[in-house]
Amino acid sequence: MAELDDIIHQPLRLKIMAALNALPVEVGLEFARLKKLTGATDGNLGAHIETLAKAGYVSVEKAFVGKKPQTTVTATAAGRVAFARHVATLQEIIAGKQL
Amino acid sequence: MIDSKQASEALTDIEDTVRRVRQSQIYEVSSLVLLMWGVLAFVGNISGWFWPRYGLYFWFAVYAISAVGLIIISAYHRSKNRIRVFDDRYFLTFALIAAFGIFCCYFGHFTPRQQTAFWPIYIMLFYMMAGVWFGTAFLVIGATIVALTLIGYFYVPGLSLLLWMAVVNGGGLTLGGLWMRRS
Repeated sequence: MAELDDIIHQPLRLKIMAALNALPVEVGLEFARLKKLTGATDGNLGAHIETLAKAGYVSVEKAFVGKKPQTTVTATAAGRVAFARHVATLQEIIAGKQL
Repeated sequence: MIDSKQASEALTDIEDTVRRVRQSQIYEVSSLVLLMWGVLAFVGNISGWFWPRYGLYFWFAVYAISAVGLIIISAYHRSKNRIRVFDDRYFLTFALIAAFGIFCCYFGHFTPRQQTAFWPIYIMLFYMMAGVWFGTAFLVIGATIVALTLIGYFYVPGLSLLLWMAVVNGGGLTLGGLWMRRS
């Protein structure tokens, strides 16, 4: 029986992972865009990205575009697998296979 | 463990986020196309106003430049997001839309003034249809330009219609592109 992933299950982290998984492999989202898509605040989003990064589910790349710092977040292979497993578990719960 | 209602809510959240990402990607590339078309429509109308005799040639040039522009935007987007935006099917679709427009103008015996109003209204029809599927921004931009074009057609006399269209069509598409970029 599959278990829900506690790291992904938190609502904001679920949105972050959903957004990153909607992109092709190795394509990331800029922090500002992720903020707009999830409706999170800077601090909140930063903290949850850090949690996902510590779990190895996302990678964070910081670079300068011109003089502006730009942070890009990308789902890792492990993150994609974990997210797919989490979604499958949610579907199983809805189908009544788990309580 | 969560119950099926909570699981269903989580899946709805995921679907909603994925839909937002897709819309954001569509808006990102569409905004570039709109900005390009805004500038080209402005230049096409202004050139036609200055040199009315050569209006048709200017518009052929505008369409040729826009085709090259679409290829460049497609290549840029592909290198950035690894998603192919425009392929042969899109270009064939654009060609069919243009061909049907030419067909209407030819068999409808449209005057130059009627054609000035027809083309933006005709193209905006497709924007509005896109709005039904991909986001309300297309619908708002299309409906606004159609309304302003009709006002110009009925109330702006003579060649001044081209100046009106430069502002309405060129300016409308440019503002629409900037709005989409921020959405």
